[in-house]
Parts: sequence; C-alpha cells; structure tokens
Amino acid sequence: MTETLTGAQILCRTLLEAGVDVIFGYPGGAIMPFYHALGDHPALRHILVRHEQAAAHAADGYARASGRVGVCVATSGPGATNLVTGLATAHMDSSPVVAITGQVPRSMIGRDAFQETDIVGITLPITKQNYLVQDVAELAGVVREALAVAQEGRPGPVLIDVPKDVQNQKTEYRSSQPSLDPRAGARGQSLGSESLTPGASPGSSPGSSPGSSPGSSPGSEEEPIREAARLIAAAERPLLMVGHGVIIGNAYTEVRALAEKTGIPVITTLLGISAFPDGHPLFLGMPGMHGEVRVNRAIQHADLIVGIGLRFDDRVTGNTAGFAPRARIVHIDLDRAEIGKNVPVTLGIVGDARDVTRRLAAVVQPRTCERWLAEIHDFTRPRAAAFRGDLAPETILASLYQATEGRCTIVTDVGQHQMWVAKLYPYREPNSHITSGGLGTMGFAVPAAMGVHLARPGETVWAISGDGGFQMNMAEIATMVQERLPVKMAIFNNGYLGMVRQWQQFFHGKRYSCTPIWSPDYVKLAEAYGIPGWRVKRAAELPDVVAQANDHSGPALVEFVIEQEANVYPMIPPGGSLSEPIETAPAGAGD
Amino acid sequence: MPASHTVAVLLDDALLTLNRAVGVLRRRNVPIERLALRPTATAGVSQLTFILKADAATADRVAQQFHKIVGVREVVLAATEESTREVQS
Repeated sequence: MTETLTGAQILCRTLLEAGVDVIFGYPGGAIMPFYHALGDHPALRHILVRHEQAAAHAADGYARASGRVGVCVATSGPGATNLVTGLATAHMDSSPVVAITGQVPRSMIGRDAFQETDIVGITLPITKQNYLVQDVAELAGVVREALAVAQEGRPGPVLIDVPKDVQNQKTEYRSSQPSLDPRAGARGQSLGSESLTPGASPGSSPGSSPGSSPGSSPGSEEEPIREAARLIAAAERPLLMVGHGVIIGNAYTEVRALAEKTGIPVITTLLGISAFPDGHPLFLGMPGMHGEVRVNRAIQHADLIVGIGLRFDDRVTGNTAGFAPRARIVHIDLDRAEIGKNVPVTLGIVGDARDVTRRLAAVVQPRTCERWLAEIHDFTRPRAAAFRGDLAPETILASLYQATEGRCTIVTDVGQHQMWVAKLYPYREPNSHITSGGLGTMGFAVPAAMGVHLARPGETVWAISGDGGFQMNMAEIATMVQERLPVKMAIFNNGYLGMVRQWQQFFHGKRYSCTPIWSPDYVKLAEAYGIPGWRVKRAAELPDVVAQANDHSGPALVEFVIEQEANVYPMIPPGGSLSEPIETAPAGAGD
Repeated sequence: MPASHTVAVLLDDALLTLNRAVGVLRRRNVPIERLALRPTATAGVSQLTFILKADAATADRVAQQFHKIVGVREVVLAATEESTREVQS
C-alpha cells in the first residue's frame, strides 16, 4: 500500500518497521519536524537524555546488550557534535548504532547558517557509513540501508543527516517488511571463511576481485580450518584468546566446545570478558597491561595462540616486538583488515567467529594440556596488596556478587575501577560485562547502563564508575528518574583521577598534577534527584547497603569511599613487554 | 630500500565515497607519494590511485582498509616497478 508521508513520518515508520522500539535523543530546531511526527508514533519510545553524548552511549549500551541496532537522535550543530564521542566509542568497539541528526535546510547548507555543522564530514572517520539525505524520495531506502550496514559484518555506527526541509517534504511511501537490503547483504562480509597468508591477501592481489574466493577449488574453504587443527594438534603450549567478536557473534558454546575438546586454556580480552565462564577450569583471565602475571607469562611461553574475534590491540600486546615470542598465531576474525594489522600471523581465517569455531571444533583432534596447565599454574603470583584499609575492590565486588547472585549486567566506566572489575568480578553469564574498551571513554557507564536496562528490562544493571567519570555524565540521573530507568550506580571514590595518578606515581616522579578531584556530597546529590543514596566507608556496611540498593525498585546510588592511593597491579608500562610487569610501586614512588 | 607499491581503488562516483577513501589515507597516516583521481570507462565509477613507499605487507594492510568502504568496488595492489595496470571495470 502506498501513502503520502513527510520525511519526518518516514523516519518514524521505517524505524518502527525495522523493529526499533526505543530511541535516545534531544530535540532542537533542525530536528523539530521529526519530534512533531514522533507524537503520532507512541510505539517508538523516546528517552530524553540530558546531553546528546548520553544518547549515543545509551544507544551503544542498548546495542551491546541486545545485539540489535541502537538509535540516537540529535539536532544539528551542537546537538550533532555532542554525539561524536559516543559514535567514536561505538566505532572502536564495533557496536551497531544509528544516529539521526537534523540539519539546516538544504538551501542554507554551506552558508554557515545558525547551528549548521558538517556532521557528515566530522564523523567520516568514526562511522562505517554516513549519509546526507538530499531528497525525501531517498529517505526510506537510506534508513533501511543504514540499519543494515550498522549490523552486518563487523558492526559499527552509521549517521544519517536529514535537512529540516527534507523532513517536511512529502513523498509516496510504501511500507516494507523488516528485511535487510539485498544489496547490503552482497556487500557484507561473507559468512564463509577464507584463509590469508600475510602480505598476499586475496582481494588486493593483482587480478583478483572482492567477490572471488581465494583458491576456489571445491573443499578449499575447509583447508585453513584443517590447517588450524593441525597447528593445535602439534602445539605443546597452546592458548585460546577470545575477544568481543565471540560476544558479537554469539559463539560462546562453540568456543567452550573447542576449549573443552582440546583442553586449551582460555584468555578473554577486556571486551571478551564473559565470553567464557569465570571459574571454568580452563579459564585464565585477562591479558595485557593489567593482566595477571600468569596470564601474560602464559602468552610469553605459548607456542600457539588461537585468537578469535579480537584485534591484538596495544593494551593486550604491550610492545608487539616482544609479544608472544615463541608463538605462532592463528587469527580468526570477521574483518580481514584486522588479520596481520598488529601482529604477524601464521594463519589468518576470515569469517564469523561462531561458524569458524564450530567447524574448527568439529575437526580438531581431542587432546589435553595438563602439563601446560600445571606450568601456567606455577606462574601464579599472590595478588599484590593494592589497598590499605578494608574497603578493597575485592570486598566491594564480592558483596555485589552476593547481592545480585551473579545475575546482573555490569557496565563499567574507564580507569582503575574498570580494571578492578575486569579482573576481580566473576562473570558467569555471557555478555554480562559492558565497557568502553577501544576508545576508553570516561563517562560511558552511566548513560550506557540506561540503554542496557532498556534492552534487558527485567534484569538488574549496575553502572560502576570512578569519581572522575561519574561526574562527567551524572546529569543523566535526571533521565533515569524522568524515564523510570532503575539503574544502580556505584562510585569508587578515591578523590583522584586514579589511573592518571597511578601513572604519575610510577612514571612522573609522583607529581600529582591536576589529578586530585573534588566531589559533591553524593548522598545529597541522590537526595536532590529524589533517589536513595548511600556512602560506604567500612566493609562491615557493605552487605546491607549493597543489598538495599540492589533491591530498590528505582534508580539508586552507592558511593564507596576507597583508599586514595590504591593502585592496579600488576602493570605493564606503556610500550613495555608483557614479560616485565610492575608488581609494586617503583623505588621512590612508594605506596 | 622500502619497496614502492601502487594501489588502485575503483569506487562509486560520489563525493562521500571519495571523501571517505581519501580520509582513510589520512586517518591511517599512510605515507603516500602520489595521488590521482580519474574517470574510468564505466559511467559512475572513478579510479583513485596512490603510490606509497612501503613493503608488501604494509601496502596490503593499507589496501585492506579500502575494502571496508561502502561504494568501493575493487582494490588492486601492485609493486610500482611493474607497469601500473590500467584497471578496467
């Protein structure tokens, strides 16, 4: 059926038809026609944030928790530029977000009109794709394509800039079923797999074309899988390193099957946390800058690393020249541009984590790694005492685990608390840990947790922040109250920008330049917003307070007053080798 | 001496696609020596060609980034010593 609709109505209808039921946004002049039309589409719930950055993070949190596209909306100019940090965060962490921005009318573009900014130009390097819609006739197709592009292959953010007069323009509209644009499917990464040898990748070799699969003889698609299986069979000290791709690709069962069939110990990167159950006998923990000594030593001693859905980024590898010096690397990733980007690989397999891992688990020979596991166990070091006083992160997180019985999603911010949570909280449920990994965006946790709640309305969500990051987006408490979003907020308050202070202590002669940070009275702040708030100074108070906050029906806030100069140990210095962890404060920079 | 490589990118004739492609060179800090854009025999398709001083593995890493751009149809990488092939689409 065809009908005549305005661009603004088409935006609402295409979103609804694609299954979008919640959007995060903030109105303004150039997006007013859309907001006018929104009133006629009550099925499209709008969450009014207090700053557009929060809209982007909330859409990102929604996307990560649901696996579906998160949508945010802003006006032109400052509204659009405020989205930028959120889009860059989503881009670095491969999260499917679609941003819709109002733009000044077409006749005004390029004249430096009021609230005009080139948001398409600004977001080019931090989006998978973006559009300036020049004619309303293109709008429905653009929205459908944007939603598909955001989610297909390796997910990422997409921006649609819609001039105000295009929102008011009318055109014939034909509704569609929520199906992907077939062109988008053809463009996406194939779910099949192909192998790569470094320096001779298919598709960029002379004469090849992107559509042709390398070595296209029948059965050759299985050859890289069989090669990986042979490498696993021949290895004495193999490791599995799993990243965000396992969570995005829903490959938990397959990764676990591969690990259990081969006995290979499993490392999860920061964004891979919760892809493999903590407490499993094969689980080792997180690698890299703040990885436990035994995890990094295992990497340095390994003779084979099978990486699934990760980027081997610098926080994981340290100095790549000294990374895993004895290991051959098999890298499985959906994005072939990642293969060989950061570390040289013996075998690259481009494909979906779930599909490739399932096929690998099917052909691999059963084996065990008992001697290797015992060797890794011997690498274990007693955890360095980061704390004086009894309100240690271990204790706080144990009380949180007890209160939630482990059934909650934890969204962390960036800094020391993020590392403590990553290392100490025993994640057992898949995709129950959400954080800003690649961009390291302070201020992420509180707004992202709102999106997580909307994606998982019946479940408990805790946003854990430091006192620095919390103050960046604490205005969103008002959003939680107005929109009835029962997010639980925890603040690790040490009176410092703790991670920067730690670096100053270790590497800058303990000159705490501009890192002491004042906080308001958080209990009174909670009171001002009409929500319950607690301040915890002693471990004995923990069980009662955390349980009360957890059980409260609405948003709630708990401040943990922790040791001021606590550190995250161990630490690989930036650019250092995984073999050389700092396990106590360097001489002259003592705790 | 680092080898020199030529990368030819066939892409849709659209400002945003071109902008995004050139942006990759800047974003990835690619040391390019020459850059040229020309029409092809196919209507609606342009060819962006650049030469970079880099070994084969580095040149390949750069080339791979272009495959991800919506609107890029083909990426051809060749050592510059060879005569740069005219890419017909």
